[in-house]
Amino acid sequence: MAEAAIVAQGLQKHYGAYHALRDINLSIEAGETVVVCGPSGSGKSTLIRCMNGLEAFSEGQLNVLEYEVGDDLAQLSAIRKRVGMVFQHFNLFPHMTILENCVLPQVRSLGRGREEATEKARQQLARMKIDMHAEKFPDQISGGQKQRVALARSLCLDPEVMLFDEPTSALDPEMIAEVLDVMRDLAREDMTIVCVTHEMGFAKAVADRVVFMAEGQIIEVAPPETIFTAAKSQIARDFFSSVQS
Amino acid sequence: MTDVVTPSEHLPPPQNTWGEWIWKSFFGSVSNTLFTLAFGAFVVWVLSSVAGWMVLDAVWRVEDRDLCGHGAGACWAVIEDRWRLIFFGLYPYEEQWRSSIACLALALTIVLSCVPKFWSVRRLPVLWLAGFSVFVALMRGGFAELTLVTTEQWGGLSLTLFIFASVFLIGMPLAVVFALARRSSFPVIAKGMGVFIDVVRSLPLLAILFSAAVVIPILVPDWLQSSKLARVIVAFAVFFAAYQAEIIRAGLQSLSEGQEEAALSLGMPYWSVILDILMPQAFRNTLPSTINQAVITFKETSIVTVIGFFEIMASGRAVIGTDEWGAQFVEIYVFLGLVYFVFVFGLSRYGAWLEKRMRVGHG
Repeated sequence: MAEAAIVAQGLQKHYGAYHALRDINLSIEAGETVVVCGPSGSGKSTLIRCMNGLEAFSEGQLNVLEYEVGDDLAQLSAIRKRVGMVFQHFNLFPHMTILENCVLPQVRSLGRGREEATEKARQQLARMKIDMHAEKFPDQISGGQKQRVALARSLCLDPEVMLFDEPTSALDPEMIAEVLDVMRDLAREDMTIVCVTHEMGFAKAVADRVVFMAEGQIIEVAPPETIFTAAKSQIARDFFSSVQS
Repeated sequence: MTDVVTPSEHLPPPQNTWGEWIWKSFFGSVSNTLFTLAFGAFVVWVLSSVAGWMVLDAVWRVEDRDLCGHGAGACWAVIEDRWRLIFFGLYPYEEQWRSSIACLALALTIVLSCVPKFWSVRRLPVLWLAGFSVFVALMRGGFAELTLVTTEQWGGLSLTLFIFASVFLIGMPLAVVFALARRSSFPVIAKGMGVFIDVVRSLPLLAILFSAAVVIPILVPDWLQSSKLARVIVAFAVFFAAYQAEIIRAGLQSLSEGQEEAALSLGMPYWSVILDILMPQAFRNTLPSTINQAVITFKETSIVTVIGFFEIMASGRAVIGTDEWGAQFVEIYVFLGLVYFVFVFGLSRYGAWLEKRMRVGHG
């Protein structure tokens, strides 16, 4: 067994009276690709956002790599340097060129020199097949291209874990494939990936396990072929039959 | 009503030439023609009387001053006679060359700091430090061959520019700090800052400056005494910062939360998230309001006359305060208006250029 990259034990989260996460226990091994799915409001985004401290939880323990997620800002910043995140709405910095979007985080987070950072950025942009747009600004490229830039920006920091929060939900249908393609390549490497998505084709192709959540709880965890065809719970069967049609 | 849409041929709209357009708009009908002629006559009359008063019939030389007021136009002789008082205020006559060089140095500093080439963390502070040092050293003197001229004697355009530049320079970083404090996650700091900003904004600028000039010296111990000008500038800067902080806060609120989250999730340190990611966008989104605030501040500098500083407005009024030129108040005010216009119009055009450069409104 490989060592665990992410371990959640008894995680609870309340928004006022609303119980967003209920007793989450989950262990993700290094190098594993895990897809998290479930109906909206099931807490999947909240869970993934807890993993790099963008969201705080109320009870329980969450370990990412060798760090503990909590109030300690030094630990949080150490986690964020080694854990990348890609958002639904890309969140590129609109006042910088594509290249600078990829260079500045390296300089500020890792203290890399500009020259080295620029070389790294060009390399990652080329890998995402977007290097020809390096000098453009984010509002000059398409959604699919933006998401690939966001991915390149994260990969420039050489993360060991990548978190994806619905990376294709804001894209036009014809652009979903270009993003999923590069994510698929990534999943085949030894990167640890946690991805919230409704793309069941992607889950089938690359996920080692699928986590199904509903109402803040983890209902089932199983390999994709099992959970898609023979989920134990009725709610999971209903969900998968609706998204796979 | 019918649902049937008859297909129409899509012809390109007729292309009007400039001449046609003008002819149609101005002389297209009888009423248009009448209005055009009447309004045209009015415009010509206004322009010719302004030009006549300001240029053609004007009296320019002090030698001809007897002609002033006898049906002639503007009496610009007053400017020739008293321009040094207007531009330098009470600054000692023999030393006014220092004031003019200082004024030029400061104007140059302001212009240079508007050039994008100087926008770096290293260059800007060096530029400002150099500019302000040259200004203060020349104005104040008190070393080498330069006689000491205390700040009470500073005046005219140099003083106006100095007050504006200092208020802006001290006020802007202060405004950033105020805006961040007001957004702080510590309720005590956020609420406290909110109350502070609201209090400062509720007080008249005059009251704040007056307290800084007159009340503070009574309250603070001797070893903390500073020059009146310094106190007034700091108080003015706090007042400016209270307004500018709200503009910056509006700019920060206009950004999506995703910007900060993305920067944080990339492991960027807090100062970098603020300075590299949030502030540039907040400033870009609020550039029109910021230029507005700068323009208002420039014009408000004239309020310092009330506490005994002879900036350009007060110096101008001092000219008409004498019997000799008392009748030429219109000329003086027009002249002062033109001086203000040069600076404020320049500032506005710079703002427009900056907006274009920063691609405001393009996301």
